[in-house]
Amino acid sequence: MTSKIAVDKPGSFALLNGDEAVARGAVEATVKVAASYPGTPATEILEAIAEVAKELDIYAEWSVNEIVAVEVAAGASMAGVRSMASMKHVGLNVAADAAMTLAYTGVEGGMVIAVCDDPALHSSQNEQDTRYFAVHAKLPLLDAGNPQEAHDMAKEAFEISEKLHLPVILRLTTRVAHGKAKVKLGDFQRLKRKPEFDKVGSKWVMVPSNAIRQHRVLEVKMAEAKTLANHSKFNFIEDNGSDIGIIGSGVGYYYARSVLDTKKFSWLKLGFVYPFPQEIVKRFALKVKKLIVIEELRPYLEENIQRLGLRVIGKDQLGLEEIGELTPDSVRKALASRKLTEKAEEPELVKLPPRPPALCPGCPHRAFYYALNMVNQHIECDNDKCVGCDICEYVCSFEKEKVFNPLKSRIRSIRIGQTFNTAVTCKACIDTPCITACPEDALAVSSKTGAIIVDEEKCKGCDWCIEACKYGAITLHPTSHKAIVCDMCGGDPKCIPLCPESALSLTGKSDDKIITGDIGCYTLGVLPPINSVQTCLCMGGGIGQAAGMVHAGVKDKVFAVIGDSTFFHAGMPGLLNAVYNKANVCVIILDNSVVAMTGHQPTPGSGKTAMGTDAKIVRLQDIAKGVGIEKIVTVDPYNIKGTTQAIREIMEYNAPSVIISQRACPLLVERGKPREVTDKCNGCGVCVKAFGCPAIALSNERAEIDTTLCYGCGVCQTVCPFEAIKETEK
Amino acid sequence: MKSLDIVFSGVGGQGVVVLSDIYCEAAMLDGFDAAKAEIHGMAQRGGSIVAYARIGDKVQSPLIETGKADAIVGFEILETARALPMLKKNGTVIVNMKYIPPSCATVGVKPKKTEELLEMLRAKAKVYEVDGIGIAQQLGNLLVVNTVLLGALSALPQIPVKADSFKQAIAGRLKEKYINLNLKAFQLGRESVLKS
Repeated sequence: MTSKIAVDKPGSFALLNGDEAVARGAVEATVKVAASYPGTPATEILEAIAEVAKELDIYAEWSVNEIVAVEVAAGASMAGVRSMASMKHVGLNVAADAAMTLAYTGVEGGMVIAVCDDPALHSSQNEQDTRYFAVHAKLPLLDAGNPQEAHDMAKEAFEISEKLHLPVILRLTTRVAHGKAKVKLGDFQRLKRKPEFDKVGSKWVMVPSNAIRQHRVLEVKMAEAKTLANHSKFNFIEDNGSDIGIIGSGVGYYYARSVLDTKKFSWLKLGFVYPFPQEIVKRFALKVKKLIVIEELRPYLEENIQRLGLRVIGKDQLGLEEIGELTPDSVRKALASRKLTEKAEEPELVKLPPRPPALCPGCPHRAFYYALNMVNQHIECDNDKCVGCDICEYVCSFEKEKVFNPLKSRIRSIRIGQTFNTAVTCKACIDTPCITACPEDALAVSSKTGAIIVDEEKCKGCDWCIEACKYGAITLHPTSHKAIVCDMCGGDPKCIPLCPESALSLTGKSDDKIITGDIGCYTLGVLPPINSVQTCLCMGGGIGQAAGMVHAGVKDKVFAVIGDSTFFHAGMPGLLNAVYNKANVCVIILDNSVVAMTGHQPTPGSGKTAMGTDAKIVRLQDIAKGVGIEKIVTVDPYNIKGTTQAIREIMEYNAPSVIISQRACPLLVERGKPREVTDKCNGCGVCVKAFGCPAIALSNERAEIDTTLCYGCGVCQTVCPFEAIKETEK
Repeated sequence: MKSLDIVFSGVGGQGVVVLSDIYCEAAMLDGFDAAKAEIHGMAQRGGSIVAYARIGDKVQSPLIETGKADAIVGFEILETARALPMLKKNGTVIVNMKYIPPSCATVGVKPKKTEELLEMLRAKAKVYEVDGIGIAQQLGNLLVVNTVLLGALSALPQIPVKADSFKQAIAGRLKEKYINLNLKAFQLGRESVLKS
């Protein structure tokens, strides 16, 4: 089946989303080099081009980040061919250094920077409005309101770029980029360009003397651009003889048209919005008595219209916020407030349990976070379930000393009054006051289990640790007079499965260390029950943040969690910086060898390129070693115990270190045999409440695994203290 | 004609996006304009997912106003109930009789019982309960549940798209070896509504 992007039938229709429409427009305009870094909602632009690249003699690449993508596109343009860089809005920040000065150098072959904003932050960390970036950089900007416009503008943007010798920004928003619509396809221009670079042209060398000259050139180009904007086919008036004129850009314009009787109003649609097309706006203003502006995010059109000395009903008067996206509902409400349309009826509210985004079943990130939380694991007793039967004490003394004698137990059953029962054992305090108190250095933390280990040779039975423990979890052995404390039976506490009320469980902590996060699927580690991720700022930001905290002098161990692709994108300088400036951070690279969140694009670690050809596999271990990290540990996150042990060892390590957690994204590997819950399950809920796999649910005091959702990773088997989960037969 | 607005609602991974695509492509084969919206991104599997699909002579924008959808196609019972505020008065609901409990043990909201959710649907809409999984099992492939639902949608009297156009759109979207299986699933889904 030929891709819709490559179908050579001008005038035919296809259902395309805005991204695919941009791709199609670029292909029609003979784009030769296309580069991008994946980011919702812009990913599909390059994906669609890459799919047809070989067939149409185009070069397409996933660059390691957006500035590289813009530089690659710029290089191609400097050699005279048409090129495009595409990215999400925040990607343009990464590319800003290149984009700002490209406005000075200008371009040769048409160059388009396609940028997708994400109002309402469907999958982003901010709501920036790229129209203001265009103003900032002095780059012309086209603002698409639906896939057809995205297509037409993409094609035209190359023409504008070549007329002005400037890169042109094509802006989409989420509803345009990920909305699909019937798009009329155009013809392929099939330009023949010979790639040649003018080696003597001083306009490419931005030393100050050249740059100031080019700044003047830019001002001349912007005057020309203003004329183009005023005459652009993307700025058009629909004069219905009304007193009320509605001006809009982007998808908001079409929401207004869908909630109003269009014939009762006059309309001005703005698509070429920077430089601001003043003349057509002035012309429109003369036709009507009142101007209403409908636009998403910041009041860009509104401010520019006011600057012309025109009165306008804008965001404040309409009650439309700068926050979030417009919807037909919000636009109706705004216009109804001015009595221009009917109010909508208030919908009945339905209260239902939410289904928030979660890490997928089988996700290695969940397994890693669980292991991370289990670094300071301890036995916790559910007071509501405990009946004070003391069986845990007998189990413990028998396990440890082969006698049934509660005085020799490491767990203590406590009853207060008639109703309160609980059992207490070591809580694995992070600051270990018992170890600090011991004058004989007889206590230490086991790296294998995280439990306190007593060296009986050294212990003199002085009681100081007992005084230091605020939980009363340490006692003196009745005969040997040495301190005894729970050692978690080497990691598999025997009291837990034998508690008849299932009141005991092995519990971890998420607040015992600082864990900075980053951008990717694994950011979802912020959600319950994982609760591990404590920051998320920008691509690669977590490593710098972690270093800053160390330099500030925090006491906690600081971890920075980052995905493999984000590490390649912007994490490498942060790691190098941590080594150079001696920040004792542990950088955890969650390596699933793919950009999972945006739909599984290849990375430098995957061995594949955007066009499907083989590539050198760049190893994370080699990079870490190359920048000077001396402690690099690779773990398999499905092995919870091994992973936890590796992290415990790093807790004691006092220099920059790297843990690489390596497992492919389960959506890309064949599913294992689904797991099922056996009769041994007593509904303790660890698999749901602490591990949180979406394939497992608790119903009727029992865990149940949905075999259609289960990926068969089997990690829940390790997590279950009752061996109540097994592989299915099929 | 005024646009016909359908909400497709389900859980990530169930095929909500693909199905709403095929629906629009079928409508385009019959000469209609079409626009749709959905949200990709964040978790790949397991979250709520909604797609809006609008067809008509001219469709202005891809989003549907609250309380204006003509029908909901629900892939899962809870998500169907969640989409109810989108539905107009006396609208139609096609619901796949599958309940996927949300992991609300961790969020602290008690899940509603399946029967309660169905009552909510029946109180507001004409409901077609489709045993998507039963039909798919009958055909020996659980992955065709969404095609069964498309068949059910195609049988609603207000849908102006021809059955043949649906079939052509399905065939245009799938690998050769899956086409026949899906056409059968479409037919069985269609009959399940026509019979009731």
